[in-house]
Amino acid sequence: MTKTQIRVGGLGGQGVILNASIIGKAASIFEGKHATLIQAFGPEARGSACSAQVTISTEDIGYPYVKNPDVLVLMSQDAYNQFVPTLKPGGLVLFEEELVTIDGKLPAGAKALGIPATRFAEELGRRLVLNIVMVGFFAGVTGLLSFEAVEKAVRDSVPKGTEDLNMRALKKGFEFGRETADAK
Amino acid sequence: MTPEGFPHTLTLRDASQVQFTILKPEEGKALHAFYRSLPEEDRLNLKEDVRLSGWAERFLAKVSEGSIISLVAKLDGEIVGEGSLYRTFYGWTRHVGEIRLTVGPSCRRKGLGRALAAGLVKIATDLGIEKVIVRVVENQVAAFHIAQRLGFMKEAVLRRHVVDLAGNKRDLLILANDVTQIWSTMEAMLMDYEPDSGE
Repeated sequence: MTKTQIRVGGLGGQGVILNASIIGKAASIFEGKHATLIQAFGPEARGSACSAQVTISTEDIGYPYVKNPDVLVLMSQDAYNQFVPTLKPGGLVLFEEELVTIDGKLPAGAKALGIPATRFAEELGRRLVLNIVMVGFFAGVTGLLSFEAVEKAVRDSVPKGTEDLNMRALKKGFEFGRETADAK
Repeated sequence: MTPEGFPHTLTLRDASQVQFTILKPEEGKALHAFYRSLPEEDRLNLKEDVRLSGWAERFLAKVSEGSIISLVAKLDGEIVGEGSLYRTFYGWTRHVGEIRLTVGPSCRRKGLGRALAAGLVKIATDLGIEKVIVRVVENQVAAFHIAQRLGFMKEAVLRRHVVDLAGNKRDLLILANDVTQIWSTMEAMLMDYEPDSGE
């Protein structure tokens, strides 16, 4: 059985839940795996701490909560500070490098890979697609999901009329992720 | 204001790589050549007779004043498609833009028209335009579907409004899209507090 536990963390308004939802949807609906999603958010709508837990598995998932993730996808420093101590030894941190600074808290053997996702999103024309760049980065680095599956999940999730820009954001993150993974 | 996100490259359904750029003044001749190369039936859809000399200069003058934003698609450096966003700065429709699209015969059914339209809708929203319309003749099925997929809805039908080469009178459909809703929907989706947003 192959099971991967993921936690996505950031701030309300960054699209943390959408990011996690797309990862889970790509795995379960478009790749035929099993996936669960748990989401948590602060009392404020925007700017509060927000996180989601995703489990992807080739077998049934008996317990959906993620205590010690294999992969962290982080879009804020608070999320880094809160969740890095929970990362499994040898785990992977994928972080937005303009919003998160990596320090000595990483567990033994853990690897941290950054992406200027905010800059990429702004260059594409909308900061809103930051979370989609991060989805692409996740897929590109981990190889857990095919580009085709993630592409379908994004198309299925975003509002009509925004698909093209979101696709470009996904591709940008995915290609950067492949390059980053190949370089390490 | 210069539209953001351009130039960019897109892979079409046949794997060809097309570059999208905002039309530059020095590309007027190339654009004119593209339009003159179109079959007569296609040229009938255009607002002006592109065979006339001076067409490119008049078009570029409107681009220069900002009443037209022209997005061109190039394959190996040659223009293969063009989309224009027309707008006015004065009057009671100054919040409305109109999109006109032309794709060369060699690049049809490959996703180019949709990409041009999507690019122009994005430019329109960036410019603060609130409503975008397109005019589609009833038998332009591909154009109708492109618009529908981008969120345009039929708003008016002008009966027997256009005449084709064979002399048939056809209905002209006016499709409209309240583009203010497009990105506000995305923004609402990202608020991360709606319990159903993860479904």
